[in-house]
Amino acid sequence: MLNSLRITQAIQHKDSYAASDSIAAGKGNLTDRRQQNSSELSEADAIERAKQGDAEAFQALYDRHKRRVYSLCLRMTANTAEAEDLTQEAFLQLYRKIATFRGESAFSTWLHRLSVNVVLMHLRRKGLPVVSLEETTQGGTEEDTPRKDFGAEDVALAGSIDRLQLQKAVDSLPPGYRTIFVLHDVEGYEHNEIASIVGCSIGNSKSQLHKARMKLRDLLKINRAAKAGKS
Amino acid sequence: MTCVELQQSLAEIENGSTAEQQAHLRTCSSCSALVEELALIIAAAPALLEAEEPSPRVWNSIEIQLRQEGLIRPQRANQPSALSLAASASRSRWGWARLMVPAAALMILIGIYVNQRFRTPQQLVKGQPLAITSEANIAGLNDDELLQEISNQSPALRAQYADSLRRVNDYIADAKRIVDADPYDEEARRSLMEAYQQKSMLFELAMDRSLP
Repeated sequence: MLNSLRITQAIQHKDSYAASDSIAAGKGNLTDRRQQNSSELSEADAIERAKQGDAEAFQALYDRHKRRVYSLCLRMTANTAEAEDLTQEAFLQLYRKIATFRGESAFSTWLHRLSVNVVLMHLRRKGLPVVSLEETTQGGTEEDTPRKDFGAEDVALAGSIDRLQLQKAVDSLPPGYRTIFVLHDVEGYEHNEIASIVGCSIGNSKSQLHKARMKLRDLLKINRAAKAGKS
Repeated sequence: MTCVELQQSLAEIENGSTAEQQAHLRTCSSCSALVEELALIIAAAPALLEAEEPSPRVWNSIEIQLRQEGLIRPQRANQPSALSLAASASRSRWGWARLMVPAAALMILIGIYVNQRFRTPQQLVKGQPLAITSEANIAGLNDDELLQEISNQSPALRAQYADSLRRVNDYIADAKRIVDADPYDEEARRSLMEAYQQKSMLFELAMDRSLP
């Protein structure tokens, strides 16, 4: 039976399932047509139809929210494969619970909160700190002053920050800093919400966010300095 | 206010707008640059909100799981009639195979249901082969036909399908062997049913891919 289970798991896994990239291949197949139809559904209609088990409605909801959910998962894990698995898990959890959705809150709020929980659970399972383990008190020292950060002070972050550079820098943040930065500055959660989601104090959330931004600034400066050095 | 104090205060008042902060910023170009640069990062962050598109494989995996869990249910109102399905099927070489897929899947499920529901314990003699689905049923989901359906796809994809087919056939054989050995093994029966469902789903996806 173990062998059966192993095979079941293997065949369910996206990488081993030959059909798993069927949308990518071939134009005009059934999946494409479903996608076309799904864009015509309103969210409320899609939710109602999904409750009845309508495949198109499930896909319509997925198409509408996939970028945001996946981007959240990717930013918080900095790993494509994990982000794909977590996106899948978030949508599956959503679909399993969709019959209970009564519309008291916005559907997107519900989904994004659920997605955040899925990612945080994953990080906790992996033993990664959801909040940085570094000292979170706000007592600074002279070493923390902007003038002495990483020796990259000569490069100014003038103008706008390139999205890809920022993305790369966020991916390089320690997991705890990354979580707070993504939740606050990218996803738009307030500190009190983050404190409740992550299980830390509001002051801790603020402190972590500030440190995350400082670290990002350093990373971006180092990146710019490296680029300037090459050119 | 010193540079250190200003930096600490930014965690609370991030835009440096208090009178104390302003007084320091007017005299310290380094801290002014810091506040400006942090503002740039804050302004750029929302661009990461929907920055990435997941691989199409993610939806496919979700869809497979939803079908396995029975959350996606067959459509009635929008489903093409049997006549129109037959007409469209007859236009292509493998059209009838398409009709056989849902029919075979249905037969498998009915077979399993009937077998589980109506067989008495006395009939479940150890070693007696199960009447759930015979190889003849599987022939309705002919492996060669599946591979033929995807014959115009890339070699890599064909290889993936062949591999998936081999895995699911192994799974069926494995589960069937256990069920044959112990017809009372409920877990084995469930595994066998799941294996057949996976195979029919593999065919369904192959048919989807091959449609014009």
